[in-house]
Amino acid sequence: MIKFWALLLAATPLSGQAVNAEFFEKEIRPVLAGKCYGCHSSKLKSPMGGLVLDTKAGLRKGGNGGAIVTPGDPKASRLLSALSYTDAELRMPPTGKLTDREISAFAQWIQAGAPDPREEAPATAGPAPIAPKGMSVEAGRKWWAFQPVSELTAPAVNDTSWSRTKIDRFVLAKLEASHLKPSIAADPGTLIRRAYLDLTGLKPTYEEVQAFVQDKASDAYERLIDHLLASPAYGERWGRYWLDVARYAEDNPTSEATNPPYPFAWRYRDWVIEAVSHDTPYDRFVKLQLAADQMPGVSRQDLRALGYLGTGPVYHKDARLSKDVIETLFTDDWDERVDAVSRGILGLTVACARCHDHKFDPIPTKDYYGLAGVFASTVQAPRPLNEIDAETEKRFMDAAQRMFFLNYASNLMRGEPGTKPEESFKKADNYKAECERILASMESLKDQHPEMYAYLSRMVPRPKPAAPVNPEPKPPAPAANVEPKPPAQPAPRRRAGGSTEPFTNSVFDEGLWVDGSDPDLTTLDTKPGVARDLHVLPHGNVAAPGDLAPRHFLSVLSKEDPTFHQGSGRLELAQRIFGDAAPLAARVIVNRVWDWHFGKALVATESDFGTQGEKPTHPELLDDLAARFMANGWSLKWLHREIMLSATYRQSSKPREDGIQGDATNHLLWRMNPRRLDVEAYRDSLLEAAGTLDRTAGGVSADLDQDTNARRTVYGRISRSNLNTLLKLYDFPSANLTSPERELTTTPLQQLFVMNSPFIQAQAEALVKLVRSEPGVAFTPEATVRALYRRVLARDPSAKEIDLAISYLNGSTLPQYAQALLSSNEVIFWP
Amino acid sequence: MIHRYSRRELIQSLCGGLGTIGLAGMLADEQARAATVHTAGPHFPPTAKHNIFLFLVGGPSQLDMFDPKPSLQKYAGQRPPSTAGFRTERVTGGLLPSPFEFKKYGQSGIEVSDLLPNLAKSIDDICVIRSMYTFNPTHTPARNLFHSGNIAATRPSMGAWISYGLGTENQNLPGYVVLSPGNESGLWRSGFLPSEHQGTLFNDAPTEPDKMIRYLQNKELDQQQQRKQLDLVQALNREHEQSFGEDEFLEGRIRAMETAYRMQFEALDVFDLRKEPESVRNEYGSTPFANGCLLARRLVERGVRTVHVFYGPGQPWDDHKGIDKALRGRCPDMDQASAALIRDLKRRGLLNETAVVWGGEFGRTPVSESGDGRDHNPYGFTMWMAGGGVKGGMVYGATDEFGFQAVDKPVSIHDLHATVLHQLGIDHEKLTYRYAGRDFRLTDVYGQVVKDILA
Repeated sequence: MIKFWALLLAATPLSGQAVNAEFFEKEIRPVLAGKCYGCHSSKLKSPMGGLVLDTKAGLRKGGNGGAIVTPGDPKASRLLSALSYTDAELRMPPTGKLTDREISAFAQWIQAGAPDPREEAPATAGPAPIAPKGMSVEAGRKWWAFQPVSELTAPAVNDTSWSRTKIDRFVLAKLEASHLKPSIAADPGTLIRRAYLDLTGLKPTYEEVQAFVQDKASDAYERLIDHLLASPAYGERWGRYWLDVARYAEDNPTSEATNPPYPFAWRYRDWVIEAVSHDTPYDRFVKLQLAADQMPGVSRQDLRALGYLGTGPVYHKDARLSKDVIETLFTDDWDERVDAVSRGILGLTVACARCHDHKFDPIPTKDYYGLAGVFASTVQAPRPLNEIDAETEKRFMDAAQRMFFLNYASNLMRGEPGTKPEESFKKADNYKAECERILASMESLKDQHPEMYAYLSRMVPRPKPAAPVNPEPKPPAPAANVEPKPPAQPAPRRRAGGSTEPFTNSVFDEGLWVDGSDPDLTTLDTKPGVARDLHVLPHGNVAAPGDLAPRHFLSVLSKEDPTFHQGSGRLELAQRIFGDAAPLAARVIVNRVWDWHFGKALVATESDFGTQGEKPTHPELLDDLAARFMANGWSLKWLHREIMLSATYRQSSKPREDGIQGDATNHLLWRMNPRRLDVEAYRDSLLEAAGTLDRTAGGVSADLDQDTNARRTVYGRISRSNLNTLLKLYDFPSANLTSPERELTTTPLQQLFVMNSPFIQAQAEALVKLVRSEPGVAFTPEATVRALYRRVLARDPSAKEIDLAISYLNGSTLPQYAQALLSSNEVIFWP
Repeated sequence: MIHRYSRRELIQSLCGGLGTIGLAGMLADEQARAATVHTAGPHFPPTAKHNIFLFLVGGPSQLDMFDPKPSLQKYAGQRPPSTAGFRTERVTGGLLPSPFEFKKYGQSGIEVSDLLPNLAKSIDDICVIRSMYTFNPTHTPARNLFHSGNIAATRPSMGAWISYGLGTENQNLPGYVVLSPGNESGLWRSGFLPSEHQGTLFNDAPTEPDKMIRYLQNKELDQQQQRKQLDLVQALNREHEQSFGEDEFLEGRIRAMETAYRMQFEALDVFDLRKEPESVRNEYGSTPFANGCLLARRLVERGVRTVHVFYGPGQPWDDHKGIDKALRGRCPDMDQASAALIRDLKRRGLLNETAVVWGGEFGRTPVSESGDGRDHNPYGFTMWMAGGGVKGGMVYGATDEFGFQAVDKPVSIHDLHATVLHQLGIDHEKLTYRYAGRDFRLTDVYGQVVKDILA
């Protein structure tokens, strides 16, 4: 340390300068003002650590921990050790170390007695930063989104004949207040197409359309909705909507040794589809995803639900990075979970409170760390799906967790041995030996659970033969009694593809600490069954922890003591969400479902119901629907029916001059919103039109780029590191974060795909072949065109359209014509 | 700030033929809507309209190109105490002198190694920043940091921010083009920005345009047949719109189809390097990186806002061993093409409106790895900039005696981003996007414009 200061002082480019008032003004004050006053100003209500640096007295006095400057003695001054980042507990400024020049200026200044020319009044170097004034928790309890919901009386309306359901009265009242009329009902052909796409993501066939159009029974539409809700395609459609919110993917943003792909992620996707198909009540649906392993009476198959947390994105933690860096990487992972849960389920931007109290919403930093602690006490790992007793499972999970790290650390020490190879190789051997010991202790699995034993045995490091000898420094000479190296075997690399072994990517309770005691290798200290409470980290800085934040639920949403006590607190979190916070959770999902039906939400910021979000366009409607949704057992299928049977939903989407003039953005719902198809419905309906769609359900994902992959898009592989081109082209959201909505764009690059891709050309060819093989289709151009229209658009062509076709076919081929038809707007339009 | 309520609606309604155009571009076209839209940029008169980023994947060695350190010779093989504190990734030994000779070039007399004879001749147009530093010694996070200001793969890349802020000047080409011989990463993502701002990747290893971009060319139809087919599609679309009524999406897709049709030929033209005179092609060379540099010039000439040229595939500049031979093999084409780009831009009067940036995700250590290689060095390394209002013939900042750490006027990645945005007329603190409850910036809460290097 002494040498360090000596070096600093000697090497300083400032050595010629006199340390005086001018020096303070030139070298010291600007740094204090620029880097420190933000947290240490007399203008702040509660300056960090009780330390004030914008007054002479404050600087001399120091903070809660005592004086920070010992004039004349840089070495004894805590200010300097904080600035130079030599003290692991106190590093300032937290946003990044000052330059050496700046630090040496401070050293010189302290050495010279720390002359401070400031008057005994607060500095006026610039306007003091205004302390952000968010909403207090008390005030927050009055925020509209946190109020209980209750069924409301529908407002009176003038036109008493239009409304079909309660929803309509809320909508109509607003329209009438704005002197707008609702639109006429969509024609049956449009309505059935809308309902099919909405509930199944597929289009009705020509025959289905005809049957519906001709069905004059008063309950024809209602029966259609029930039929569609019962179809397996419904789960595939609505499960996928949830997967956007759940940021579902099968790998990580990067794929390295500590964050390999998730081979069983597809099981989570299948669970979601099944659960949605079965109309699992939404509260239970979410609870299972947070805590299936802690709920009574849950089957092992339901552990697949934990993929919600078990396949969340994680970043690589190179064990050679320092403790602080690794700890920060973990806090990033936990932050993602806080964000996914709070925005996805509660519509609150809790992650904004990571570095400071939320600037607008009633969310103190302590609440953020109270939630983050839940995820710091939860680790990701595959869990066995086969029946197994709790004790054996626990032993298996602990063993697998430890072996994963040992395997990684051993390979690392052997493959990249660092500056002390002898020690590294020894460590590698020790890690390997520990792995082998753990495996040996699990021998008993061999008979009853051979798949689990096989799983563990793959994690024993299999070192490659000794690396080529480096000229310097010399690797240790092999000792005479060293056993011969095992023959080279391929490293146990997990392939990016899925696995059908009986495991599922999941989570379990285990507190995680980062251990920096080994100078060469930052290790992990995991404690099965032990929860970890986090300290508040001002500025998110792991090196400067503040108060302890016991695991707890958001204060503003809690009616009583919000502390969690059971294990990680995942189950209590889930219970709180659907207990104290149920009205908010209900509003959030009802609003999402409304959005997915109408293409426009009641609260336009679907994942932000806080003060920075939008207010609902129809607050009473939202509250009434949320209340009735809860009363109807959180049933999504109930909600679909309620919405789709409304006259509001059944309106035509055609433009109307008075509507465009009066409400161009259609906030008041004077018509249905016309939309572009999402990529899933678009690709699936192209395949279906061409007769090539493979309806096999569930199972391991396949790459959508494979020519042979004609399964529904929901079964395509979803990658965080390399998202499929077609998905990217058509606005599929990045799965690195929870996604509130898709922004559907219309770009020239999409049209290049439509005009020139082999995919579209292949569908056109298949379509022609299919139509040609249909019995009863006459071999005339007109009959063929009619058959193509029925296949692709489920309707007959007009005379004009037949004329266009006949004249085009003079000199062009049928597949070329079929491609034009597939390229037309009507195919990708959702009226 | 943005009128949030109509963000999605705005994108939906305006995208059409303007799909690749940023908000500012839309504004220019749709003055009538300007009142309801926020102004992303520019915030003040720019000194550059375009940005070309030459990215040497793997981390090129500053000590063998731009940062001469005689002390490496003096203390060769030793590990002086001042270098002891730097943790390296792999086994590193004593100081490794550069095998290359440095000489002064140009009026400025800046020292450049004999690996780079062409760049040396253009040194008076170049500002060499010797005091870059970064926060992460691992390739992927460091590259994320470089392209998006964050190690996590969630933030939009700089090119996406620029596209969002300024749009493009050519509606027939994407506003943000990435030229790379491999498809190794998502470094050109748009993150939470609307997806039309993501970089469009063209493979620059082949020279035939239809191999560079997917679906650019119709393999089945000639131009006349294709026009006929498109005419049919548009006739059907008009029939359909007549029966439905006027609709912004339907109208937008009709326009986007026409743009795509034209783009095929515009792109065929711009990407067809065979249209360049022999002399120009010879000046650049014929490697993928040379193609990339020449294409970058052709693209900015046609109004493309941002072009990133990757020297890949993989991470070739990751010289852990045999650095002497490796650099002798790899530098000539990099040197020739980068220097040709500067000269060519200058000849055409484009250099003063194009901000060129050169570098990799970090530098390399002065201490040796494997005896003759260098390990990753995030503590201090060199990048250079040219054009777009940057002072030529200038050295900015310095590393320590051995070139391990930036000590004089250190420049962070955020500072670099802030500076490039500044050249383009964007205040990095004002280019924000509201997402997940808060305003995000490319530079997060960091970044200072390096004003001293701007003319």
